[in-house]
Amino acid sequence: MANRRVLVKRRKAIQNIRKITRTMQLIATARFQAAFGRATASRPYVERLAELVAELSRGTGEASHPLLATPAGDAPVAVLVLTSNRGLCGGYNAHVLRTATARLDELAAAGTPTELHVFGKKGIGYFRFQRRPMRAQHGDLGDTPRYEEVEPFATELMRRFLAGEISAVEVVHMRFHSAGLQRPEQVPLLPLRPPATAAAGEGVEYELRPGARELLDELLPATVRIRLFQAFQEAAISEQSARMVAMKAATDAAEEMIRTITRQYNRARQTHITMELLDIIGGANALS
Amino acid sequence: MAADAASFLLEVVTPERVVLSRPATFVAFPAFDGEMGVLPNRAPLVAKLGIGIVRAEGPDGTQRLFVDGGFATMQGETLRLLTEEARLPEAIDPDAVERELAAVRSRRLDDDQAFARQQRALARVRALRALLNRE
Repeated sequence: MANRRVLVKRRKAIQNIRKITRTMQLIATARFQAAFGRATASRPYVERLAELVAELSRGTGEASHPLLATPAGDAPVAVLVLTSNRGLCGGYNAHVLRTATARLDELAAAGTPTELHVFGKKGIGYFRFQRRPMRAQHGDLGDTPRYEEVEPFATELMRRFLAGEISAVEVVHMRFHSAGLQRPEQVPLLPLRPPATAAAGEGVEYELRPGARELLDELLPATVRIRLFQAFQEAAISEQSARMVAMKAATDAAEEMIRTITRQYNRARQTHITMELLDIIGGANALS
Repeated sequence: MAADAASFLLEVVTPERVVLSRPATFVAFPAFDGEMGVLPNRAPLVAKLGIGIVRAEGPDGTQRLFVDGGFATMQGETLRLLTEEARLPEAIDPDAVERELAAVRSRRLDDDQAFARQQRALARVRALRALLNRE
């Protein structure tokens, strides 16, 4: 029976695929842990910086800073979309791109001009296919965003925001909630929203050098830079986590298929044996 | 470190990690307008950092590192340096520093802004070299 040979071949192929997806799952797990560790390592900086901003803006009272103000005029809104460079990570890119497209349509419906900055080859490919003009395409950022790689983008965006070339900056990226749950999110980066000044006043009198205002002039851009960096980090963690889950599912599915095919093969083999036996018995009966 | 009044905790934190966390008896760091020293029991402070070398003297010797901008906060018995770039001497590549210096020197100065940038870049390279030469 030719059927058996086909089944054996198919099972072999699926076993090979399972080997690959399992390896990818292990790699994604290792990368995920590394990315997660990096995000944890940057938490102290983020927290201290937010504390400092809260502390200082309480001292100066009503905060007013060009980075906090919504500029007048109809300059475009810059939308940054963070996607991955590589595929095989389930619905990761699709989710981000759906949210991004929805946001772009929403802005367009409101008559707000937009400009699109896309990070990651998958997003670039998608928007090229959609024939949406992109102002910037960055497909060269690695899986592990480094601070000094992200910083120039933030600096350039702030410069253009302050020059009135863009009226706002929004980032669409995957927010990491847990290994099983990530949600695409669209977060405003500029104008900057200061962290909630709910920090209960301990009433520590700081000696400030230089004054509070000058310090805030430095702190707010630092906050923008770190927030963008965090968005990149979250995107990186979510990507690896999504790949981990997708590859786990693929491995499980392959195992299930191997089991089914093995069963089919065994049945085909048994049928074949039975038929041959029947042939022999039939032949013997005809002779006697 | 509360039990030991003669020392305080120094933490150097960058966006990527905590570079240094150790007890110190004296720390000198580059503030925006010149070097500043901190001893235990200092009054709370927030200061802008400049470019230069941080010197931390502690029970287990003296540690130097390079910082480029950021903030210093002293609260309680903890001195925190929040900076976007902090490098221990062993993390500095001497060749890269020399290349950076060559690049800075070969730049053209067209206006005041370029000049200011040049001064900043030079201060940076100088601090990096000073730190290396000390090792």
